Amino acid sequence: MRRLPVYLLIDTSGSMKGEPLESVKVGLQAMLSGLRQDPHALESLHLSIITFDRDVKVVLPLSSLETLQLPPIVCPDSGPTNLGAALEVLCQRVDTEVLKSQGENKGDWKPILFVMTDGSPSDIMLYKETVPQVKKRGFASIIACAAGPKAKKDELLPLADHVVTLDTMDSGSFLSFFRWVSSSVAAGNVSMGASTEIHLPPPPPEVNLVF
Amino acid sequence: MSIVKLKATDGTEFEFDSANQAGSGGMKDVYFSKDKKQVVGWYRKKPDYNSMERLRNIVGVYRERIFQQEGGAYWEPLFCWPTHIIEDQGHIGIVMPTYKSHFFFQYGSKNDDFLSIKGKEKEGKWFASANHQQKHLDPRERGNWLSYFTTCIKIARSVGRLHMAGLAHSDLSYKNVLVDPAGGNACIIDIDTLVVPGRYPPDVVGTPDFIAPEVMATLKLPVGDPKKHLPRIETDRHALAVLVYMYLLYRHPLRGRKIHDADPQKDEELGMGEKALFIEHPTDSSNRSDPTSVKPGFLPFADTAKIPYTVCGPYLKEVFDKAFITGLHSPDQRPTVQDMETALVKTVDLAQPCANPNCDQKWFVFDNSTKPRCPFCGTAFVGPLPVLNLYSSRGGGKFLPDNHRLMVYSNQYLYPWHVSRLVFPSARLTEAQRKPVGYFVFHGGKWLLVNQTLPGLKDVGTGEAILPGSRVELKNDQKLLLSPEEGGRLVHIQMANV
Repeated sequence: MRRLPVYLLIDTSGSMKGEPLESVKVGLQAMLSGLRQDPHALESLHLSIITFDRDVKVVLPLSSLETLQLPPIVCPDSGPTNLGAALEVLCQRVDTEVLKSQGENKGDWKPILFVMTDGSPSDIMLYKETVPQVKKRGFASIIACAAGPKAKKDELLPLADHVVTLDTMDSGSFLSFFRWVSSSVAAGNVSMGASTEIHLPPPPPEVNLVF
Repeated sequence: MSIVKLKATDGTEFEFDSANQAGSGGMKDVYFSKDKKQVVGWYRKKPDYNSMERLRNIVGVYRERIFQQEGGAYWEPLFCWPTHIIEDQGHIGIVMPTYKSHFFFQYGSKNDDFLSIKGKEKEGKWFASANHQQKHLDPRERGNWLSYFTTCIKIARSVGRLHMAGLAHSDLSYKNVLVDPAGGNACIIDIDTLVVPGRYPPDVVGTPDFIAPEVMATLKLPVGDPKKHLPRIETDRHALAVLVYMYLLYRHPLRGRKIHDADPQKDEELGMGEKALFIEHPTDSSNRSDPTSVKPGFLPFADTAKIPYTVCGPYLKEVFDKAFITGLHSPDQRPTVQDMETALVKTVDLAQPCANPNCDQKWFVFDNSTKPRCPFCGTAFVGPLPVLNLYSSRGGGKFLPDNHRLMVYSNQYLYPWHVSRLVFPSARLTEAQRKPVGYFVFHGGKWLLVNQTLPGLKDVGTGEAILPGSRVELKNDQKLLLSPEEGGRLVHIQMANV
């Protein structure tokens, strides 16, 4: 049975400390419980969470939704947003964790990537170098979320197929964002339109879609 | 509460609670009525001219054709059929009955509902996966194997009713058919996407897992291309066969080990489309399921060598062969929905309760062997097992085999459709035809048939009449005439396991 690998890259730089990070955790928890109530997701979805600030941490290696426990997520008081370094780690993880079809063994579905940040990459050189590497990993879709007023959505455009913006960083908007993430990853199991393109579900009103 | 009064296009007044959302699907947001007996589903995108025309026919003439005929009430629990169209400030909505409470989980998942699914809709996928069945669902939600036959019969019968009216559902899937296996219930929903061949083209191509191979293979062609296959009655036949196979065997008939392309998306398109191949194909084993690649929760069902589809009995084997071998790529050779219903109904007569009280399936289908055992838990049947082979009169004292057997178990009933070839257990049975006419019981080491109401029951060998209220012991090679009338049946008894 094919697994659907989903990678979540979460910004834990200093500016996320306090309410924003707490809201993200609430949103994540709600997303997990919601996905576990979906029999399709429960069967195929595998999730990994990577946080990035000054350091990049794989807080949750790719694990099945059935068994995974949400790890503690903390952020330092201050520090840069090393998204470039995070993407490097992501590429290594994808290379080792995502299975390709080999011989008689069916590989995984193409992975999906969600990146959430409230600022812009501090390691901009590395970020720009790594974006093409990420693209080579064959993600089915890459969705970036620019949260709050300081997030620079333009910087995310080269990386992501879709960029969504959250005007505020309260739990309400994170919740609706993660709900949208859930419906995006579960979209493979609903009726397909008579035309061929597979679309993302419409984002909730709090989320603004940028192309 | 925020009650809104609205008038349907035919003038009927409704009160809806705009603060009480019942759910939201791909196309509609759904709200309860004040008394919660109905819901209104508002379309997010205003339906176009064609869709409106179709909706008007669905709430109008198509509905009347099914429900306002003699016996129409039978269909009401089997469909969630839209009854009215509502227009409000440029929004279009349809009014439908609320789903019955047995379609929502009462107990949910194991360990005091660790997945928090109590009160949620019983989406079919929970029941069509061995892992969910064995690892997640509360046993009280699962029903037994026989109840899945009942559920599938209801699904087949409802889809058959649509086809008889010239309509195709076009998107049969776990999501669009509500199931309650514990109670043996099913209900077809999302009727608003009905396809009328040649009149209203489909909006959707279907749901992955259920899309017919020819539709999948031509998915990329633009709408309007004459080579593009779209849903129709023949694709419903494929989807129904997949549903039944999955509800009985907890695995997908086409998802095996064969890899068609290194790209998973292309592999999916080929494996479900152009190159689709039955995992239990008799001569081409290249797509057999791979039991070593799955989690333990999927076993033994993921192992076709341990649980082959033949455990469903000879009638369903024939139907599955037509659906997944001869008709897989030849839509006109697929079994009709009536073929499926007939096979399911006849298979129920082959069911035997498993002697092991801890058996998960609790029932199995007699495998025509002299030493029957449950294929799921391996428990052997104990004691003599009467098998009744049905023959029916074709005039002049001639009786021909009906390719129909009835297995006997304690408290098994004999029904009018066993007594006469002219009666078939379908939606059209009269009240009187639904009542048993006799029953079987194992008493004092003997199998007895107790005649309740059959006036003409007779042991052909001895010539002895068995009057209502009396009983007859079942013996090997015995012939009993159930009815002397035209179409009346004669049963020939074989004793297995002796």
